[in-house]
Amino acid sequence: MSEAPATARIWDPAIRLFHWLLAGFVGFSWWTGEQHDMEWHRYSGYAILALLVFRLFWGFTGPRTARFCQFVKGPGAVSAYAKTLGSKQAHAADGHNPLGGWSVIAMLGALLVMVVAGLFAIDVDGWDGGPLSDYITFDQGRAFAEFHETVFNVILALVVLHIVAIGFYATWKRQRLVPAMITGKRKLGADEAPQELRWSPVLALTGIALGVVIAWAASTGFRF
Amino acid sequence: MIRSRITALTALGLAAAAMAGGATIAIAAPSASTTISTRQANFKKMGGAMKALKEQLSGTPDKAKVLDAAKTIAATARVQTKLFPAGTGPSSGVKTDALPVIWTDRTTFDGDMNKLITEADKLVAAANSGNAAAMQAQFKAVGGSCGGCHKQFRADD
Repeated sequence: MSEAPATARIWDPAIRLFHWLLAGFVGFSWWTGEQHDMEWHRYSGYAILALLVFRLFWGFTGPRTARFCQFVKGPGAVSAYAKTLGSKQAHAADGHNPLGGWSVIAMLGALLVMVVAGLFAIDVDGWDGGPLSDYITFDQGRAFAEFHETVFNVILALVVLHIVAIGFYATWKRQRLVPAMITGKRKLGADEAPQELRWSPVLALTGIALGVVIAWAASTGFRF
Repeated sequence: MIRSRITALTALGLAAAAMAGGATIAIAAPSASTTISTRQANFKKMGGAMKALKEQLSGTPDKAKVLDAAKTIAATARVQTKLFPAGTGPSSGVKTDALPVIWTDRTTFDGDMNKLITEADKLVAAANSGNAAAMQAQFKAVGGSCGGCHKQFRADD
């Protein structure tokens, strides 16, 4: 039996689970929002809040590809990378490239703003709203609801950009990014040595617990 | 604040005019934009009352506050029935979420409006009874009548 091609582990299981759950819940939130099914829309929002808290925690405690300090780069690196976009050469380094890193930050930021606005939002009938809407007036709650709708367009644009970028890498650079986000692995080049992907299951569970506790606390309106 | 007070006063004035005017006497009709902004202010008032009810009923309700909000809805709903004259839809050129179907399916619309009045009156009664479970159930019925009518007659934003 011939040896399988060498692979490198680039995405840890927690971040893959985070990614696909987030994609699923964002879609579900959209659908329940459109259907005005506010009960499930709220649950979905709490789930997204828990995921975002986990991701922020993981950005400081996770393996190298998850860490903000590893993929958030300055304008110099971003523009240098942007100049190579036209090349058919695939991006060799693991994890987010300097441009994609900012796309991740933008998506996380927009989703965080979205969730917080949702917590304060109140519907037009004044009888259904986020758990923090009790702290503000009806007019303020309506303003949050309208802002919540506006931010959705930003998220939609960022998601479209995300998918277009994946398509661009698949067709132009012949680099398939989706399988790596499913299996966590990518094929190694002929002269590449695999780098370790170290992460702690204890820290992962801590991050998940932190996300769940904060989302639960927000769902009660911080009334215990 | 001053502005909302003025609109509230306008609402009272319009309501009084509508009641005094009756069906036969033609009074100088207020402009479409005045009518639309008046009814919008009234809907906001009802929305605020619903929010107050929601807050009261998520804990131990203060009977007086529930009663106050319920009465606001019941009274304002009665005023609203007079604030949808012909020519105050989107075709008036004034920005409004009121859909044209209000005027083409007036019977259903009026039925929904009356349903709100009925449910709001029942909420006043429930508040008077002081029974928290009854208030909660009736609050849901009122909320349902808001949503039911909005689904058909209000533009989804």
